[in-house]
Amino acid sequence: MMSSVPASDKKMKLLVYSIEECPVCGQKTKRAFQVGDYITKDGGKCTKCRNTTRVSLVYAESSKPSG
Amino acid sequence: MEDGLFSITSVQLQVPADVNTILYVVFFMGLIVFQFAFGTRIQVYFALNDIGRGLTKLKIMKDKSRKEAIDYLVNVGKSPNDPTQRVDQFLDYVTIMPVGIDPQGLVNKIDHVVTTNNERVRSEVTALVGQGQNNPVTVSISENLLEVATSLNIIHKVVRHYYLLGKKTNSYFTLIQLQMLMPMIIQESDALLNAVDSFKVGQPVGDGIGPVVVSKLMVGKEKRVIAKDTVIATTEYKGRTLHVLKADGPMAYVGQPGVAIKKVIEEMGVKPSAIIMIDAALKLEGEKTGEIAEGVGAAIGGIGVEKFQIEDVATKNKVPLYAILVKQSILEAITVMRKEIAEASEKVTQVLQRVIEEKTKEGDEVVVAGIGNTLGVAQ
Repeated sequence: MMSSVPASDKKMKLLVYSIEECPVCGQKTKRAFQVGDYITKDGGKCTKCRNTTRVSLVYAESSKPSG
Repeated sequence: MEDGLFSITSVQLQVPADVNTILYVVFFMGLIVFQFAFGTRIQVYFALNDIGRGLTKLKIMKDKSRKEAIDYLVNVGKSPNDPTQRVDQFLDYVTIMPVGIDPQGLVNKIDHVVTTNNERVRSEVTALVGQGQNNPVTVSISENLLEVATSLNIIHKVVRHYYLLGKKTNSYFTLIQLQMLMPMIIQESDALLNAVDSFKVGQPVGDGIGPVVVSKLMVGKEKRVIAKDTVIATTEYKGRTLHVLKADGPMAYVGQPGVAIKKVIEEMGVKPSAIIMIDAALKLEGEKTGEIAEGVGAAIGGIGVEKFQIEDVATKNKVPLYAILVKQSILEAITVMRKEIAEASEKVTQVLQRVIEEKTKEGDEVVVAGIGNTLGVAQ
């Protein structure tokens, strides 16, 4: 009766990523989220055209359940 | 006929009473009597055990959220003094809603009470935060963490009240109802506690999908504050002028979209051909996370004040209201944004463009509002 959250959900570990997108060429780079990241924040240089990228998305993906 | 009946009775009477049969009958008779006399008490016993276990879980969650809020205020907010006592006072603070027996002007009264409470929370948290005062993100995250702790504190208190009341009065129906509700209560409390992890590090939550879509339209445009914690920018799309608004990010604000839309129409003199609202919506079990639904009406949750204001101004000015919703569960809405929700932003943009093209014509003005908590989503 008390089991509320499915066991599979409890075991699911979420990994958070920031997506950096180049506003000029559209190149997207996925990296681990760092504290201080937010959407529209300036990112690093684009590996393709050397323009400054921008964080376009921050999201979590589930890794494989542990155990 | 009479002969037959007589013979059956005779046969039954002639069977000697077997001890085992008598014990069998007595046992089952006793079981039935026991069931009638103590069945409810046994169920009450199991219900009390079950609720008691849930209550312990709720207490752990409540204590953890309180500790997380205090730790954040000390470590990130650099609170000058020990904030424990002030936090405990904060958790027990009550908001008394206005009387509803005379509904005339009720929404304005609720708005007044809620605004007073929000201002009180902001000033209280600003006082609690030390050096972090200068960082609005830190202050807004502290507000959200304290709100989570308050919610869990209230949930724990209410459940404990009915648990003790049921125990004291031996009320079977009170306890059984509470027992049936416990899984949902635990699930929602679990979602609230999980939200703490996202809030602490400033990660966008599922509820922020509306602001995510709208922020893309605001990037590089001049922004100005139009209502408390709410910003607006003007842009163009295929000959239409778009007045785009959202809460001021990357702070954990929800803003005042109702006040903002009212100002756009009544003070700025904009005559929009449509108001399009993008928001997260709770999915039903079986629906997929990140599914998009379109509709009409004001897509906004909360206590109802903002919704009323938007519906009121739209009705007075005969402006159609369109809604674009992204489905998600309560857990997904208040914890870090899932990939399925984030990736839906592209599709929502396409739907938004289609709605603008279909429902308005060149030269028209359109209000686009991204509704939701804008933590981790600037503009």
